[in-house]
Amino acid sequence: MIRAADLRAPWLWLSLAALVALLVFIVYPVANILTASVSGDQNGWSRLLSDPRGLSAILNTLILASAVTCTCVLIGVPLAYVTARYRFFGKSIIALLPLITLVIPEVISAQTWLMALGNNGLITRFLRDIGIQLPSFYGWFGLVTVMTFVYYTYVYIGTVAAISGFDSTLEEAAQSLGTSPARSRMKVMLPVILPSILASALLVFTMVVGNFAISMILSNRLPLLSVVTYQAAVSEGGAAPVMQSTFATVSVVMVMLILFLNRWIVSRGRFEIAQGRGARPVPITGWRGAAIGLAASFIVIVSLVPLAVIAVGAFTVSRGPVMQWGNWTLANMERVFINAPQPLVNSLIYAGAATLIGICFSALVSYLIIKKRNAVTPWLDYISSIPLALSGTVLGIGLVVSFNSGWLPLTGTATIMVLALLVRRLPFGMRSAQATLHNIPNSIEEASISLGSPPMRTFFKVVLPMMGPAIASAAILTWTTSVSELSASILVYSGGRETLTIQVFRLIGSNLMAYASAYGLVLIAVIIIPIIVATKVFKVDVFASK
Amino acid sequence: MGIDIRNLYVNYGGMDVIADLSLTIPEGCFFTLLGPSGCGKTTLLRTIAGFVQAAKGNIYFQSQDVTRLPPHRRNIGMVFQDYALFPDKTVAENVAYGLRARGESGEAMMKKVRHELEHVGLGHVMDRHPAALSGGQRQRVALARAMVIKPQVLLMDEPLSNLDAKLRIQIRETICDLQREANITTVFVTHDQEEALSMSDQIGVMNKGKVEQLGTPKEIYATPRTAYVADFVGAANRINVTVAEANSDGTARIMLGDAAILARNTLTATSRDGILIMRPEDLRLKPRTSAETQGLKGRVVKRQYLGGKTSYKLALPDETLINVDSHGDDHDGFEIGADVIATIDPSKAMVIAS
Repeated sequence: MIRAADLRAPWLWLSLAALVALLVFIVYPVANILTASVSGDQNGWSRLLSDPRGLSAILNTLILASAVTCTCVLIGVPLAYVTARYRFFGKSIIALLPLITLVIPEVISAQTWLMALGNNGLITRFLRDIGIQLPSFYGWFGLVTVMTFVYYTYVYIGTVAAISGFDSTLEEAAQSLGTSPARSRMKVMLPVILPSILASALLVFTMVVGNFAISMILSNRLPLLSVVTYQAAVSEGGAAPVMQSTFATVSVVMVMLILFLNRWIVSRGRFEIAQGRGARPVPITGWRGAAIGLAASFIVIVSLVPLAVIAVGAFTVSRGPVMQWGNWTLANMERVFINAPQPLVNSLIYAGAATLIGICFSALVSYLIIKKRNAVTPWLDYISSIPLALSGTVLGIGLVVSFNSGWLPLTGTATIMVLALLVRRLPFGMRSAQATLHNIPNSIEEASISLGSPPMRTFFKVVLPMMGPAIASAAILTWTTSVSELSASILVYSGGRETLTIQVFRLIGSNLMAYASAYGLVLIAVIIIPIIVATKVFKVDVFASK
Repeated sequence: MGIDIRNLYVNYGGMDVIADLSLTIPEGCFFTLLGPSGCGKTTLLRTIAGFVQAAKGNIYFQSQDVTRLPPHRRNIGMVFQDYALFPDKTVAENVAYGLRARGESGEAMMKKVRHELEHVGLGHVMDRHPAALSGGQRQRVALARAMVIKPQVLLMDEPLSNLDAKLRIQIRETICDLQREANITTVFVTHDQEEALSMSDQIGVMNKGKVEQLGTPKEIYATPRTAYVADFVGAANRINVTVAEANSDGTARIMLGDAAILARNTLTATSRDGILIMRPEDLRLKPRTSAETQGLKGRVVKRQYLGGKTSYKLALPDETLINVDSHGDDHDGFEIGADVIATIDPSKAMVIAS
């Protein structure tokens, strides 16, 4: 019911404005994708059924996602368990893990693994010299290896959180009732943390399905869903987007199913821990401590390999694709900053604009959703979480198809670049803003209003400052993920609008690894410097909203 | 500035939470809305504040109709259960907030802030943040923040219920002192009868969206008009009875088994069935001897020694259980199984309509 008082307040009008924006830039593109698979006399679905390459791409993607999910759980859960429960030598470097996933864009992980293990890689050549022949890194071997080391941290982070939230007195209770420590742990702790493990595993699954950069660089002749989708998009363009829409729909449906499964698991498995007293980590020494320490450090150091390789590669002399390891030069960096600085400038502008707009929008719309509910706000909530189900490739296709020509032609503009980053990362900002707003009691606002401050002024004077820290950390996260975005922006960019990530990707495609390393190193700097400044200078807890 | 509420209806999702409520709170009165959770007392307070819109009816501050006035223009002071201090602002800035909203600034404003904080004994914590204060200090800051703007009415929503027992009594006194000094019309919401009885000029006992009884603390306690009020304010033994004889002096004679009880009669002339109300602390116990004919015969089935008194549960001959609180010397003198007689002064027992 809408009352006269609601029409006088600004909230309903703001909600409607936000709804229009979301309908145009999220619902309309998605609707276009879903409908374009059948257009005129073209039926993408019947073409898909008679296309062995397309079908095997779907099958391969499912196999790859399952395999990577398993390996991530196998690495992530034990690592989480030992760090949450034990103290051992080298534990502190494991604290770096969440940072690593954020800081290293996927395209760079793929690139550096290639530089180490590819046909002409550092390690491949070393082993060949001593007579060991490695299998080709292109295909399953490389895909599973790289994706595992990129994604296992998500399982690790989810499991650590669950284990530290687990009330260890429950375990003591089980022991007092006569079960052995190991058995108590299996019987009491495992069921409580299992939903979190499953949820993070499913997250990994969806990320593998949507993965673009690593798939493109390493799949070679192995068809994968995101690769065939991208190839269809490139060959069809925006005019008759039949096959790309068909593949994109498959991807959307796949991810949606997983997200629903995830939600079901989380809702079933939400046990209330009455009062948490997390277990104190127990020191572990001797050969067991050393073994755990070594194993854990090995995983972390392997995760850090990309950083080292790229730093070396950026200053290594190259002639075309041939790296002359051991010979140093500044020519690569000169190219990034002096000869061809446009990608750097583009990245800063697009990611900056996307972060600024995204954070303002998230703060305001989350406020409407949580604190100023009306008939419109539930829809704002649903629609703004749609991008979670869209891989970057799908989103890129949606934007190209919708704004190629017609009533709102944006192709070739900087606007569509910003839009791609903005829409893709919107759920991030929304989630962290909503989480903080839930923690601000209504009485705070009412106190301000009762003291004579009108509602709008109350929002700016009281609510916004309280959201400040969360907004800052969400801004940093949005910035880092926008700068490293590739899959959506590579579909909507046009000549002269390359970002750093796109540039790195293209240079890898041309096998110019030295230049790619230089741009990649700058890319990492663009990501990491704001994080360092925010945490050290402004004391922002970057991972508070994670 | 008095508050006048006329035929108020408040409605949540099609249900009347408050139905046809009228109430007049005189100027300078400390008025308490007392009732269990869900009785509508907080809704009524929030409607007075303007955070809840009335579906029908009117609210007047003195003669001004404020029913449609948004809360920030009602010039109210409000104190919340969870303090609702702005966590990112210092104590001084919290208190200054309402003054700034009224366009004040500078040294003159800070003087008022300091004065108000000193008044509640917190002049020394002006530059701290709320997180560095104890619960009692926080609530006093909240009180200073509400009072410094010189509101027309002061509204308090269970301000003491997050505090521990000792602090509650201290802050109670602070609130009463401030209220009396400023002579400000105050509406105080609580579910705690002791708070209501000790602080209020007037109490409205609420039940299911209605004011069930209105009166001074003493009236509410000594002459409850309904069984609900009798039970909620203080404790009461309630026994369904039929009046044997309605006397012309306003007393009624009631037979409980073979025992006759005299009680004040509030029934209408035509009605005989009612509820006998006896407060545990008004009943007197003595050992039963064979010659005794007056009073209720009972047997002690439970006892709780509480230091200053002993609470007994007695079984009457028909197995009805009643509570008796025994004070004075030897209040713990009856053992379980002892046969006793319980008597009550006719002015303390009463029969009310069921």
